[in-house]
Amino acid sequence: MDSLSKQHIEKGKHQIFLVTILSISTILLAIFALGQGSSTNLDMWTTMRIILGLESGSELQSDIIWQLRFPRILMAIIGGIALATAGALMQGCLGNPLVSPLTLGVASGAALGAAFAIVLGFTIVNRPELGIVANAFLFSLVVVYIIIQLGNFRSISAESYILVGIAITFIAGAIVSTMQYFATDAQLSQLAHWSFGSLSRPEMENVVFIGFIVIILLPQALIWSWDLNALSLGGDDFAISTGVDPATIRRNILVLSALMTSVVIAFTGLIGFVGLAAPHMARQIVGNDFRKLIPCSAVFGAFLMLFADTLGRTLFAPIVIPVGIMLSVIGGPFFMYLLLKGRGVKS
Amino acid sequence: MNSILQANDISFSWGENHVLKGLDLDIGENELISILGVNGAGKSTLLKCLNRILTPQSGKIQVSSKDVFSLSLLELSKLMSYVPQSVRSSFSMDVFDVVLLGRRPHISWRINDNDRDKVSETLRILKLEDFAFRRFDQLSGGERQRVIIAKAVAQDPKIFLLDEPTSDLDLKSQIEIMKSLRTLVSDSESPKSALVAIHDINIAARFSDRILLLHDGQIISQGTPKEVLTTENIAKVFGVTSEVEIFSPSEAEETEVYSPSVRVIIKDEISDDASLSEKSVDKFHHGRSKSTETK
Repeated sequence: MDSLSKQHIEKGKHQIFLVTILSISTILLAIFALGQGSSTNLDMWTTMRIILGLESGSELQSDIIWQLRFPRILMAIIGGIALATAGALMQGCLGNPLVSPLTLGVASGAALGAAFAIVLGFTIVNRPELGIVANAFLFSLVVVYIIIQLGNFRSISAESYILVGIAITFIAGAIVSTMQYFATDAQLSQLAHWSFGSLSRPEMENVVFIGFIVIILLPQALIWSWDLNALSLGGDDFAISTGVDPATIRRNILVLSALMTSVVIAFTGLIGFVGLAAPHMARQIVGNDFRKLIPCSAVFGAFLMLFADTLGRTLFAPIVIPVGIMLSVIGGPFFMYLLLKGRGVKS
Repeated sequence: MNSILQANDISFSWGENHVLKGLDLDIGENELISILGVNGAGKSTLLKCLNRILTPQSGKIQVSSKDVFSLSLLELSKLMSYVPQSVRSSFSMDVFDVVLLGRRPHISWRINDNDRDKVSETLRILKLEDFAFRRFDQLSGGERQRVIIAKAVAQDPKIFLLDEPTSDLDLKSQIEIMKSLRTLVSDSESPKSALVAIHDINIAARFSDRILLLHDGQIISQGTPKEVLTTENIAKVFGVTSEVEIFSPSEAEETEVYSPSVRVIIKDEISDDASLSEKSVDKFHHGRSKSTETK
């Protein structure tokens, strides 16, 4: 084999090694997080033994771990994977590093749905515990439908998708603001709380449902990674010359990313930052080859979300700071550090 | 001569602006053909129509006797590879991975050692092995251009469509790239051809088997460099006066590996507003300059 080919294989192995380390760190963090909280703190070893059934622990300990913390931590992992993957896919297919899963207006659609439920009491599903979630999900699906319809226009560019997304955000924002203007204090408080983004809301059955959808969609994202490589590197003309139909692939990827985003934020509320930052952090390790970038972003997403939520739960316990806020507070500076490190300062 | 690409009656317009007006084109195996013309003459548009980046309003295009519009883009990319004028992107990859994209039409998802070796070989042919693991966005414009050409070569198509491949290159790199292309096209074991939109008349004259002169959406002259590059044609298309030196084959072969049969020395612009009209060509003929023929 050629020496350059060998070097390429070696580099790939090194990158896979780093992603494996990050995955193991995420699992260890998850075990640590299961033991930590405002009510009961267990060391990692005891937590692991309880999880594996080697130690029964008290009934209270077992209940706290399995009933309270496990769904939340699983949600952090699944949500992180979904939002980070959606962010990587959208940045790639729109050729824009500023894009996040919220850019296309999916989140604004969800917020509008939630506002309809909270302020007007208008719900699509007539079950109190699911009213807001169902509204948020279905309204964000309306945005997904708009994306599909946009794809039918001839020569729709990446910029057009972004601009329509911004327009949707403004329109939905204006309607929500109007509703807030007429809302009661209690409704305002509930709406604000929804928009913070929290992992405590989804029940275990919701988490399983979200996980099921994400597991179905993820392999498809990986299948498109070659197409994304061509599209993100050289734009539409370059992609066509490589055998990729940019319009079709862009529409399909946006629909998949929007679905992944909708299914998570309908249950958790607005969590945006992880979808922007995790793909950029992953790029520092594996570059922009989507065959590696998608899995690496997913792992980074899970780690970031879990880290932020654990910190939010433990830092000022018993007060819990919502994960959306924690992510921006601790992720933002770290993200800026990553982007600026290694760059010289003008003398 | 076996035909690799045939295009008949290709017309393309942007609204009322008719860019291509019923072009016919026939490219044979192992041919390097240059398209010359001023900015806006339709060179890039023609290449993009051939590769289905743009859809012509009328006309028929066949590659290896297959109608390009009945092929999937993936099948088409096995036959044809287009090299854009420049590739600028917000995201970057290692040079090796960029060239590896050329193998994408030939593989399912997983890359094997043969694909990697093909990329390595291509990098060596185009003298890019030192850049293999550098990031694409950290290269100069000329180096990036060579990497994109390497990607097209790794794609192993029947025909290369290159849009001003030497525009960002220094003089040495221009010669290197054209020599590499010439070598690829001259490989009789695997017949390939290249259609190159280019601005440098003398580079075209030196490396092309044939030249197409594109003017106002039509091919006004085609043939060997000697046949096409006349002072009249140059004045008509480019609006400049020139001297054309014609070399005999023996003299040319002694001096250079790829021997130009003609050399054009551009003198001055034709200042008359109607520079592209027959009148100005006549004036140029009888007044300001002369055509020289050596031997």
